[in-house]
Amino acid sequence: MGSQLNEGSQAGKKQVPVAEGLFYQPSSQDEKPYLIGSKCNVCGNLTFPKIPICPRCAKKDTMEEVHLSGKGEVESFTIVWSPLPGFKAPSVQSYIKLREGITIWSLMADCEPSEDALKIGMEVELVIGPVRQDTEGNEIISYQFRPVKDD
Amino acid sequence: MRDVVIIGVGMTPFGRFLEKSPQDLGREAIWNAIEDANIPPKHIQVAYVGNAVGAQLNELKGTIGQHVLTSAGIDSIPVTNVENACSSASSALRLAVLEVASGNHDIALAVGVEKMYTGDTAKAAASMASGTPYAKFGFTFVAEYALNLRKWMRKCPAVKVEHFAKVVVKNSKNGSLNPYAQFKKPLSVEDVLNSRMIANPLTLYMCSGIGDGSAAAIVCSKKTARKYTSKPLIKVAACELISGTYTYPDEVHEACSSRAAKRAYEKAGIGPEDVNVAEVHDAMAPAELKLYEELGFCQEGESARMIDEGKTMINGTLPVNPSGGLAAKGHPVGATGLAQVAEIVWQLRGEAGNRQVSKPKVGLTQNQGGLVVGDNAACVVTILKR
Repeated sequence: MGSQLNEGSQAGKKQVPVAEGLFYQPSSQDEKPYLIGSKCNVCGNLTFPKIPICPRCAKKDTMEEVHLSGKGEVESFTIVWSPLPGFKAPSVQSYIKLREGITIWSLMADCEPSEDALKIGMEVELVIGPVRQDTEGNEIISYQFRPVKDD
Repeated sequence: MRDVVIIGVGMTPFGRFLEKSPQDLGREAIWNAIEDANIPPKHIQVAYVGNAVGAQLNELKGTIGQHVLTSAGIDSIPVTNVENACSSASSALRLAVLEVASGNHDIALAVGVEKMYTGDTAKAAASMASGTPYAKFGFTFVAEYALNLRKWMRKCPAVKVEHFAKVVVKNSKNGSLNPYAQFKKPLSVEDVLNSRMIANPLTLYMCSGIGDGSAAAIVCSKKTARKYTSKPLIKVAACELISGTYTYPDEVHEACSSRAAKRAYEKAGIGPEDVNVAEVHDAMAPAELKLYEELGFCQEGESARMIDEGKTMINGTLPVNPSGGLAAKGHPVGATGLAQVAEIVWQLRGEAGNRQVSKPKVGLTQNQGGLVVGDNAACVVTILKR
């Protein structure tokens, strides 16, 4: 289970997931990406990322892996002009409220970094894509959210 | 538990001191506290030393507390290093207070020290983000504050960016009166709003910068205190630490600072209405407004009015951040909590010079740090009484 290591579309460039076990990257057109979370089979508590023990129940072996839809809306956003080393600016960071009800932190993709292009409540969907390059030129890929197009 | 008092505080000026080591900074703050308490250094029986990002930024990678203390002439006593991100120093204070309250020791030292400026501010920002699971995604604390503030503004439509700027105007003026402050330039609303955007809606002057510094406090049992000092004794009425909680989608999440404050008020047997002066964790200055509400200084939704009416200015009814706060005084992260405490001790003793608040009896500090499960990793609220 978990994310897969894929060869990138551009020759020689390897794609490396930012962390293991966060998302599934489709290996064909027929599949959809998803986020890997967990759900407590006692209280129903839902989490992303996946965690080993439900903090509400505090019992062993109640958390089960679940796949999250990757649909949601923007709960808050910011445009970052002073990035960490290796990241481009401006970039958009956000809180996304997933359809399943939980709020997660995410980078945004495919949206203009401007106050006019972003709105609280706008619909977004999961996309897996590059967020930076490592020192060897590999693409570090992560889950991100992008605006859902109207059409 | 026994009553615990603070008999000495000291700090270094906050700023960028490329040539100074953590030992240099810590030694200066410790000796300022020793002289303030009028105590022979060998009478200190135990020490706790807060530091957050030294292992990532400094040549010295471990046991920084022992290195700082031996450089100050204090060896052999039990020393424990304390790391709780930006709340490391107040977490160190709490342990020193517990040593004395429990009767284990009579005199304890708490130190916070941070050396962040290496000429590379991006590296310093990365070192702070590295305490979170999101650093590798490009997470920064400025962005985190921006996301939370935008979400909060939506809930409190009375709060506008102009209110954020007003907080900075107030704190920059206070900072200009503080000889220890890193940034001493009084700013106007226009200066703040026209400064460079860092993470919308936060501009440069709303954010604390990268800096170096240290602060220290000597705590003592009430019985022993008069052997050393004739200054007013400052009682530690509460020093409460809590960690962040998970946010459940089906429950209302209570902010870390609000939970810490409730515990501290209960322990001290007071309410927010009894507080006369406060130093709060405005790593990004607009967060001060949100803290007015979370600490109970005003009702929910009333913070904009509080700053509009000047209630939290030095001559207001509840002065907040008379030192200049983190954005003006500076925020060497692992030193901040004890610098807040030093300011409140000076205020309660009436030693705060040009920035002196009128005769306060009760002071509060709120110091938070890190990020865990979408909440602050740690928050300490301390209540001091003259």
